[in-house]
Amino acid sequence: MEKPLELSRYCVPFTPFKKRLEDALLCLVSTAGVRKKDDRPFVLEGDTSFRTIGGETVAEDLAVDDTHYDHGCIDKDVNCVFPIDRLRSLAREQRIAGLTEQHFAMGFSQNLKEVRDTTVPQIARAVAGARPDAVLLTGG
Amino acid sequence: MLITVEPEESAQARPPRALYPKGFIAGHSLGRPGDEALQKWIILDALALLTAGPRPGEVIARDYA
Repeated sequence: MEKPLELSRYCVPFTPFKKRLEDALLCLVSTAGVRKKDDRPFVLEGDTSFRTIGGETVAEDLAVDDTHYDHGCIDKDVNCVFPIDRLRSLAREQRIAGLTEQHFAMGFSQNLKEVRDTTVPQIARAVAGARPDAVLLTGG
Repeated sequence: MLITVEPEESAQARPPRALYPKGFIAGHSLGRPGDEALQKWIILDALALLTAGPRPGEVIARDYA
């Protein structure tokens, strides 16, 4: 696999946004260990894989596999870390055009080299394939 | 856009656009469960970074008390 181009440590990867928000499709990406309940769980001790979440998924159909942060909020409402219902509501209100057909989430891992060299490029390609106008990234 | 509750760590990653809801912690990045208004308020503030004057690399802190 071709090695991604390394950015200078002083470089900020900024892309100007030239649309109106009302015309923008949003893609949600999370590192909070979110997945569909019927999808394979993330390995809690460390997992460099990622999951694809369909754009029609509601928060009630999501589970979270992570033991590294407090679950007091997400056990009641996954929108606390993966606000898919809220984004859909903003689309109904025409604040944004809508959501992409796919969203993505990864779990906890301390294998930073594999995350950087494999997982992140895979997610970036998947996000590019979803053709969003903007990406909302959340953690836990 | 990034919504982060670890602003110092996130700043090291040089995010192009980042919002920090002040005082929020991991697991509560967008606030209280079922608080649709608050969660949407935070999302809209993050979205506003797309159309605001560019401040690449900065993590913008906001109060949501």
